[in-house]
Amino acid sequence: MRIIKKLFMQLFLTIISIILISGLPELIMNKNVTMYFQKIKVVLFDVIHLNEMTYMNQGKQRLFLDDIWSPYLYSLTILFGALAIAFCMAQLLTWCTLIMPMFIRRAVKNILTFLESLPDLLVFALVQMAIVLIFKKTGILVSNVASLGAEDRIYIVPIVCLMILPFVYFYKMMILLSEEELGKSYVEMSLAKGMRRIYVLIVHVTRNTSEGIFHFSKSVLWFMISNLLLVEVIFNIHGITHYMYSDFRPEMLAACLILLVIPFFLLYALFEWTIIRLSRRGELI
Amino acid sequence: MIRSIKFWVGLTILSIFIFSSFGFALFYDSDVRQVQMLYDDDKNLIGGAPFEPSLMFPLGTDPLGYDISQKVLQGAKFTLLAVIAIGVFRVLFSFIVAIPFAFYLPEKIRRGLDQLLSSFYFIPLTIIAVFILSPILSEQLSAEGEEFFLYTFTERIGLEVIILTFLVVPLLGSMIGNMMASLLKEEFIEGARLLGASRWRIFTKHVIPHMLPKLVIVWCQQCVQVLIIFTHLGYFKLFFGGTDMDFNPMMADPPKSLSNEWSGLVGDYYIQIHANPYIALGPIIMFGIAIYAFQLIGEGFQHHLQTRHYKKEKRDRMSRKQNLVDEPKLSFDFMHKRGA
Repeated sequence: MRIIKKLFMQLFLTIISIILISGLPELIMNKNVTMYFQKIKVVLFDVIHLNEMTYMNQGKQRLFLDDIWSPYLYSLTILFGALAIAFCMAQLLTWCTLIMPMFIRRAVKNILTFLESLPDLLVFALVQMAIVLIFKKTGILVSNVASLGAEDRIYIVPIVCLMILPFVYFYKMMILLSEEELGKSYVEMSLAKGMRRIYVLIVHVTRNTSEGIFHFSKSVLWFMISNLLLVEVIFNIHGITHYMYSDFRPEMLAACLILLVIPFFLLYALFEWTIIRLSRRGELI
Repeated sequence: MIRSIKFWVGLTILSIFIFSSFGFALFYDSDVRQVQMLYDDDKNLIGGAPFEPSLMFPLGTDPLGYDISQKVLQGAKFTLLAVIAIGVFRVLFSFIVAIPFAFYLPEKIRRGLDQLLSSFYFIPLTIIAVFILSPILSEQLSAEGEEFFLYTFTERIGLEVIILTFLVVPLLGSMIGNMMASLLKEEFIEGARLLGASRWRIFTKHVIPHMLPKLVIVWCQQCVQVLIIFTHLGYFKLFFGGTDMDFNPMMADPPKSLSNEWSGLVGDYYIQIHANPYIALGPIIMFGIAIYAFQLIGEGFQHHLQTRHYKKEKRDRMSRKQNLVDEPKLSFDFMHKRGA
């Protein structure tokens, strides 16, 4: 019960801070504090009465919620897809890397440091160029480089773009955490008992690093939501951030961000709850 | 002395960028050369702008014939100094916020506050920065048809630095606060307290020496983050120090950066990605190099921290080993060894 109460407090605070921040452009434009609070009031009203909120689409007033569902789900698919693929690939490759000899591991780590420093914009540009290049050389269009409108949905390119850097981050973090874990005495103990290295790695080390990875994944997600905006603008994808960017009103910003935040918030709350329960159980035994 | 190669390589790259940029301003007055047509020795036209990267133009030229490598050189000082400054401010303010957080709050309240502050993980920085900064940095069009900025040049830079700083202070502050709180639980702090050290003494004599190296690493990470945000802002045509918009309804010029700083170059040239990819990639690659330099500094410094006592220890262990070999001889010897 206490956990649920805490979660609601947290969600409430997130929403409040989003609303407070979304009013800031107004404050900067008019240099007037009372206007800022008026704007906040308007935003708050709109967010509470979300089902009546309207926006302008091609010169017509339309209900916000009627139109947002399908792009919203589309954006979520891209985000979740990228996050899941990045995580799984990183985990698999971590296992492969950690059974390799030391010098390969060191080389992999150095390469990862290099890859980590690629700016995301460069990654997007390279993906775009690679697709065009493949098309020019072989005539095979791997995927459309840009979506043509609201009806046209592309999945492969945005997911690939969004997942490359999170994959590198996860991979590096997992290797670092696992190496730290491998130095602990229980690993030595289980190896001495005759357990296979790969078994210890997959069952014990992964379980023990999962909490650290979980906390780390929050900042990866934070980074990915920012990237979603870039990807949607670059590839002309009509997702939720596209609405946010083309409308550019504080109400819209607040509503879209809140919609975007809620599923991830719930997901993380669920994970955290299970992790706390699992670790408690371990302590009790 | 720091003995990590990575650290020095990173630092060298950054200082070369900054000093050569200042040198360029000092000796050449930041005069970017413009070559629109290129002739060979017999006065035959062999090419026109934009040029591809070559020995003459390391990063190529833009469609107007300006040498991009010199533009990059001119802008390096603004971008890198701004990044370093924002990084320092972020760490400094977060550290100041973290002090009461770690010292005065009881454990329970701190943990609750930490939970609440972690809600900031769900507010993506780029989106917020784009929204807040666009009224500041973009040139506006007044009703009379005049272009104007809402703020003066220094105000714009100041506001951008302040906003990019304070958006992360909640998260970073709670992170540094937690680092400090776990430090305060160490045994030597307990010992110092028992010996009668005041809070001030513990802070200056124990906390600061332990935190400073960690803060250097955090600073490197923050600088990387700021650089990435600069590329994003550049893509959205929000340049450091302001974006010069052209509101001419006929053939408007593209938005221009006022000082050739790097995010401006990214924003200016990204649109050319399909026609002249080299032009678009140049400034972004420079960002990549700068990010790599900061990463190297961070990693090298961390390596230095982990191994700074290493050599001493190694010698100790070696000498102890020798002692171990020597000692048994003194106490007792196996009979058969002596016999052989």
